[in-house]
Amino acid sequence: MLHRLWIFVFAFFLTFQSVSAPQSIYPVNGPADVRDVTYALINGQVISSWDASPANLTVLVRNGKITAVGASVTVPADAVVIDCSGRFIYPAFLDVYSGYGLPAPQRQTQTSNRPKYERTSDKQSYWNEAIRSAFSGVGSFTVKEKEAEELRSLGFGAALPVYKDGIVRGTFPVVLLGSGHEVENILHPEAVSGYSFNKGTSLQSYPNSLIGAIALMRQFFYDADWYQKSGTEEYYQSLAIYNKTKSLPRFFEAEGWQNTLRIKKIADEFKMQFVVKGGGNEYQRIDEIKKTGFLYILPLNFPASFEVSNQYDAELIPFSLLKHWELAPFNPVRFAEQNIPFALTLDGLKDKKEFRRNLLKAVQYGLTPAHALRALTETPAKLIQAENQLGAVKSGYIANLIVTDGELFDENSSMLETWVAGKRYRHAEIPEYDLRGTFRISYLNNAINAEIKGKAAKPEVKLSGTTLIAKASLNSQLVTFRLNNAKGDTVYTLSGTFTDANSLKGTGTDASGSTFTWKAVRTADFVFTPSPAKPKPEAGSLIYPFEAYGKKELPASSGSLLIKNATVWTNEKDGILEQADILVENGRISKTGKNLSAPAGITVIDANGGHVTPGIIDEHTHIAITAGVNEGTQASSAEVRIEDAVNPDDINIYRQLSGGVTTVQQLHGSANQAGGQSSIIKMRWGNTAEGLKFKDAPASIKFALGENVKQSNWGDFANERYPQTRMGVEQYYFDLFTRAKEYAQRKKAGGNLFRVDLDLEAINEILEGKRNITCHSYVQSEINMLLHVADSMGFKVNTFTHILEGYKVADKMKQHGSNASSFSDWWAYKFEVYEAIPHNGAIMHNAGLNVGFNSDDAEMARRLNQEAAKAVKYGNISEEDALKFVTLNPAKMLKLDHKIGSIKTGKDADLVLWSGHPLSIASRAEKTIIDGIIYFDRDLNDKAAEEIKAERNRIIQKMQTAQKSGEPAVKPEIKKEMQYECDTLLDDYTTEGGF
Amino acid sequence: MKKIFIMVALLLTVTLHAQKPVPAAPQSEPILIKGGTAHLGDGRIIENALIGFTGGVISLVDSLNGNADISAYTKVIDASGKHIYPGFIASNTLLGLIEIESVRATRDFTEAGSFNPNVRSLIAYNTDSKIIPTVRNNGVLIAESTPTGGWISGSSSLMQLDGWNWEDAVLQPDAAIQLRWMSETDFRAQEMKLQTAEGYGAYLSQMRTFFLDAAAYAKTKNPAVKNIRFEAMTGLFSGEQLLLIHVNNGKDIITSVEMAKQAGVKRIGIVGGAQSYSVTSFLKENNIPVLIRKIHSLPYSSSEDIDMPFKLPYILKQNGILFGFESGGDGSEVRNLPFISGTAAGYGLTFEEVVQGLTLNTAKIFGIDNRVGSLTKGKDATLFISEGNALEITGNKLTHAFIQGRTLDLRNEQTELYERYMKKYGLDK
Repeated sequence: MLHRLWIFVFAFFLTFQSVSAPQSIYPVNGPADVRDVTYALINGQVISSWDASPANLTVLVRNGKITAVGASVTVPADAVVIDCSGRFIYPAFLDVYSGYGLPAPQRQTQTSNRPKYERTSDKQSYWNEAIRSAFSGVGSFTVKEKEAEELRSLGFGAALPVYKDGIVRGTFPVVLLGSGHEVENILHPEAVSGYSFNKGTSLQSYPNSLIGAIALMRQFFYDADWYQKSGTEEYYQSLAIYNKTKSLPRFFEAEGWQNTLRIKKIADEFKMQFVVKGGGNEYQRIDEIKKTGFLYILPLNFPASFEVSNQYDAELIPFSLLKHWELAPFNPVRFAEQNIPFALTLDGLKDKKEFRRNLLKAVQYGLTPAHALRALTETPAKLIQAENQLGAVKSGYIANLIVTDGELFDENSSMLETWVAGKRYRHAEIPEYDLRGTFRISYLNNAINAEIKGKAAKPEVKLSGTTLIAKASLNSQLVTFRLNNAKGDTVYTLSGTFTDANSLKGTGTDASGSTFTWKAVRTADFVFTPSPAKPKPEAGSLIYPFEAYGKKELPASSGSLLIKNATVWTNEKDGILEQADILVENGRISKTGKNLSAPAGITVIDANGGHVTPGIIDEHTHIAITAGVNEGTQASSAEVRIEDAVNPDDINIYRQLSGGVTTVQQLHGSANQAGGQSSIIKMRWGNTAEGLKFKDAPASIKFALGENVKQSNWGDFANERYPQTRMGVEQYYFDLFTRAKEYAQRKKAGGNLFRVDLDLEAINEILEGKRNITCHSYVQSEINMLLHVADSMGFKVNTFTHILEGYKVADKMKQHGSNASSFSDWWAYKFEVYEAIPHNGAIMHNAGLNVGFNSDDAEMARRLNQEAAKAVKYGNISEEDALKFVTLNPAKMLKLDHKIGSIKTGKDADLVLWSGHPLSIASRAEKTIIDGIIYFDRDLNDKAAEEIKAERNRIIQKMQTAQKSGEPAVKPEIKKEMQYECDTLLDDYTTEGGF
Repeated sequence: MKKIFIMVALLLTVTLHAQKPVPAAPQSEPILIKGGTAHLGDGRIIENALIGFTGGVISLVDSLNGNADISAYTKVIDASGKHIYPGFIASNTLLGLIEIESVRATRDFTEAGSFNPNVRSLIAYNTDSKIIPTVRNNGVLIAESTPTGGWISGSSSLMQLDGWNWEDAVLQPDAAIQLRWMSETDFRAQEMKLQTAEGYGAYLSQMRTFFLDAAAYAKTKNPAVKNIRFEAMTGLFSGEQLLLIHVNNGKDIITSVEMAKQAGVKRIGIVGGAQSYSVTSFLKENNIPVLIRKIHSLPYSSSEDIDMPFKLPYILKQNGILFGFESGGDGSEVRNLPFISGTAAGYGLTFEEVVQGLTLNTAKIFGIDNRVGSLTKGKDATLFISEGNALEITGNKLTHAFIQGRTLDLRNEQTELYERYMKKYGLDK
C-alpha cells in the first residue's frame, strides 16, 4: 500500500513538473503557443544507457522530459507516434568542455610595450587580472543556432561552455543545444568552476611564466582562505565570489600529462579534487595519470600525418612528434584499460567534422563502443553532477536523444535525428518510415522482390525476379524507384508514398510516358548488419621519456655493480687510486679498493685502466624547465618555485648525461633581485619530475644583482621597474628583509588576520637559515654591498654565482663564508664583465674559497670537465683540485657533499667512466651512472642513434601509406625548443606542447 | 692646469703601457727554435725539430737529426719537450669589430640594409681591442674579421693579431664576401611549422637577380653608371675573392651553392654546414670546402644524433671534403677555438688532423696557403711554442709566439690583473 502511494506521489510530482515547465516571464506578442504534447517513439532499438543492450522499447517524451521507457509502455491515445523501425535510439551526447555559446576571449591590443605592474580596471576584483573567479559564464551565454545545429548533427544535446581565459576562470553553465530562447536552454547557471596555467587575456606583466602562474594560483587559494577566516572589511570581489562558488566541481585545463602531475601537487597541497581536461598525450604516462585519482576530459584531436617533401626536412621533425602521431589514437583506450573515468570532448578539434572520424578511429584503436558511449553520456553527466538528468534514456531524464539508422559506432551508420529537451531536430528530410527491408513490388503485371539496405537516407536496392536494376531515392515523403535495364536506360520510374509502415503505393511511368499504379508490401524487416571490424593498428613501442633516446623500460630506482681496473679520482684523502675497483650496492658506494669481488648477479664493468670520477654537478643550469625560467615581472618573485615546472622530457638531460653530468641545480633566472626557489635534480632520464627530484635536498633560492636586475640591457622602455641602479638594489634588499621580519612576527602572533604571503615566506626562510641563497653577481661593489646587507640583516649568502670579479673581493667573501660558482672564462658580453679574467677561479681558490665552475648553458654543460681544465691552464690549480671545481665543490655549495661529490663508502653511486683523462678535450664519458644505474652508455647510445633513424623511417613510411588511403597531411608543427639562460625573458608562455 | 692635464695623461699612458702589450718590432735577427715537436700543419710532425726564421720568413724546417747549417741563427730558443705550431687561423670571428657585446657603441659588425658586399670589416678593425691579446695567447694568431647581418654582410679580411693599426695588421684584405643564406624550411619560420619561410621566395629571387646583375656588371668594361655594390662583387667572378655562404640545412646548401655557381662565382665555401653530412657527395663533386659550425654547438635539431656536432669533422674528412673550423661569430670566446675544435679528436679525427683544420686547411680555403698555414720554408714565420699539446686546455701554455717573425708580448691586461690580485692576497710568493 505504502509502495503504491509512493508511486502515486512520484507520478504527481512528475505531472506537476511538466505542467509548470513552459511558463515564461517574457511577454508574448499574440496568443500564447503553449504545447503539451506527448511523443511516442515506438519500435526502435533503444540503448537506454552506455552499458545496456539494444532492446525494442517504447520511449514517451512529454514537455522536455522522458516520461516512460519500456517494452510494454502504453502509448497514450493522444500521443504523436513515431515509428522507429530500423532505427537505433541512444542518449544524446554531452560535451563538458565546449566552445558553444560563449564568445572567444579577446586580448586587447596593447598601446604600449612598457611592462604593466598593476591592473588598470576592476580594481575591486583582485590584484591580478589573470584571476577571474568573479566571472560567471552564464551571463555571456547566447544561443548560436548555427553552431547548435552543427553540434546536434554530431549527436550532442547539451554542453558546458568554457570561457578559456585566465588562471582562475570563474564559473560555467550547462546548456541545452536547442534552438529558441536562452532561458529555455540554461540547465544549470553555475555548474563548474574553471582553472588553467595560462594567464589568458590579462595585460598585466605578472605572471610571464608557468612558475609564476602556479605561484599566483597558490597565493590566490591562500588569500581566499584568509579572506573567509579573517572577516576583513576590505571587499575583494574575486575572493568573495570564489568562496561562494568553491564547492562546485573544478575543471582544470591541463594540456598534457606533465601539467596534470603539477595539478596533482596543487590538489594535494590544498586538498582539492579536479576534473582534468587532458591534452592527448596522457598515454605516455598512463600509470601516473591513474595515480592522480582525477577524472578526465579527453580531446579527440589526434594529430594528422606530416607532409614530408624531402629527407633534409624530414630530419628536422622531432622524434617525439612522429611517435605521437602513431600512438595518440590509443589515448582513450589506455584510459579505458586502466578504468580511469573519462569524458570525450570536441575541444581541440580544428574542424568539428573530425569528431566522428576520430571517434571511430578511437574505436578502431581498441576503445569499445560501450566505453565510447559512456565517455559521451554518463561520464560527462557525472562530471557536472547531472547524472540524474542527462546521459541516459530513462524516465525522468531530460529528453536528449539521438536516432540513428545503424549502430552508433559503425562507420555505416548515420545520425538521423537529435532530440533536445523533447524537441525533435531531424538531420535528413526523408519519409518517417524506414525504406530498408524486403519488399514485394507489384506494377503492371510484374511482381519483383526488392532487398533494400544501406543507409536510411541513401538506400541501396537489390532486385530479384527481374533483369532490371533499381535505384531508390528519397525526397521528404516521396519514395522513387528507378528501374533501369542493363544498358542503364530507365525503363520504369515508380514514385509513391508510405500508406503505413509496411506498404507503399504510387504511380509509375514507363519509357513512353504512359502511367500506371504500383504498390509495395514489406515482406521482411530490415536487420542492421555491422560492417566488418577494421584491424586494430599496431602500436609502436612506448619510450621513457617520450623523446629521442628514451628507453623502452622505466628505470629502476637503484642498482648494483662492480667497476674494475679503474683509475679512480676519489676526491678524498686517498687522491687518485690506480688499478682500483669500486663496488656499488643498492645505489650506494659500498667499497673501493683492489681486487674486489662481485657478489653474485652483479654487473661487472671492466674499466681497462680508464678513469672514473664522481658525477659532474652543475650548480647553475636552466635546462629541463617548462615555459620560462624568469618570473622577472616584479623585483621579488621569491614565491615562484622552479620545482613546479621541471620538464623531465628535455633532451638536454640526456645530452648532458653524455657529458658525465649527474646532478644539477635548476635556478630561476636573474631578471630580478629575489628570483625564485631553485630545484635540485638528478639526471635520472626516463623518470617523471618527481623521480628526478633530489630527495631531501636543502632549499635554495636565486638572487641577482647588477645589470640584469636594473634592466640595463632590456631596451629603452624598461626604465620603470625598481631598481634602476645598484643603489636601488641595496635599498630594495633592506626593505624586503625588513618586511620579511615583520611578517615573521605576524606569523608568530598567528590568528585569523594573518595572511600567508608566499613571497615573504620564502625570504623569511632565508632569515631562519632554512633557505640558501645563490646570488648572480659580477662586480666587486655589488658583492661587497650584499655581504653588508646580509651581515646587518642577519643572513648568509651561501653562494655567489658567476662572481666574475670575485677575485677582487675574495677575502671579504671568505670572511662571510660564501661559496663561489663561476664561469671558467666568460667575459666581455656586457660592461659588468669587462674586467672578468679566466684566472678568477684560481685566485678565489687560492684565497681559500670553495670554488666551482658552472654552465648556465645547455651546450657548455655537456663538457664541464673541459671547463674544469681551465683552472689548470689559468692559475695552475692541480688537476685533482680542478676536477673538484665541477664535482665536490658544487656538492658543498648545495650542502649535499655528504651524499655526492666524491667516491667514498656510503655515498651515492654517481660515477662517470671516461675514455681517457677526465680533463682532456679528447675524452668522452663512456658510462654515466646515477644511484648505481647506468643512465648513459656510449655503446648503447651509438646503437640508439641507429634505432632512432630506423624508427623515424618506419613511421614516415607508415604516414605515407596512411596518406595514400586518404589520411590528411599537414606541416609538422612544434613548440619552441628554447635553451634558457639566466637572462632569457618571455613575453608570453605556453605551458605544454601538444604532444 | 695644463700641467696637471699633461701629468694625468702621462700617468694614463704609463698605466696603459703596463697593461696593454706593445705591438712587436720587426724581426731583428735570425731565430732558431731547437728541439720540441713541430706540428707542421699538413698533418705531419717532426720530433726534435729545428725551425728557423729570418726576416719574418721561415728559413729552416728540419730535425736535430739532420745536418742543417744553423750557424746563421744568432738567437736560439730551446723548445725541448715543447710543441711548435703554425699560428692557428680563426675564421668567422668578430674580432676587432666588437668590444662589449651588450654595449651598442662597441658593436661594429652589422650595417643597415640587405645587400652590403661593399662594406669592409678591415677599416673598422680595432687593433687596440682588449680581446685580441687574450685570443692570441692561446695560439690563434690570424683571424678572419667578419661582418654579419643582412643578406650579404660585406667582406671579411684576414688579420694578424698584432699591429699598430689595421693597415699593418692585415694579412689578406677583403678575402671573402659573406652571404647569409635564408633557410627555406625550418622550424624557425613563422608559427613554428616546418614550412617555407616567410619571404623565402622574395629572398631567393632577389638574391639570384643580384648575383646575375653583378656578374653582368663585372663583364662590362668601364660601366657608364657605377654601382659600388656590384663593384665589390667583381672579385667573386674573377676568383680573387671567396664567397662564404653561411648555411646549415642540407637542402639549402645545395640551393645556395647552385645559385652562386650559376652566376659564375669561382670560389665558394660553406660556413656552418651543420647538416653537411647529408650532402657530402654534392660537396665533393663541386669541390666545396666547409668551415664547420663551431663544434661546441647543440645538435642542429632536437632529436639529431647527440654527437653529430662532434662527429661532423670526421665525417667530412672521410668523404674527402676540405674542412676548417669556424668560430661561431664570436669575439671573446675565439680564444677557445683550439679546444673547441680539439673536441673532434675524441670523435674520430687525430690531433694532427685537427691542427691541419685550424691551419693549412683554413689557409687553403682562403687561398693564403702560399703564405701561412704550415711550417714550410718560405712561408711567414707566424708560429708559436706551447708547453704541451696546444689543443689540450691543460697543455696550451704559450712560451713564445711570432707573427711574421715579430716576437709577441704574451702579457695582457688579464694576466696583469691576475698578478695584481695574487699579490694583494700575498699569493704571489
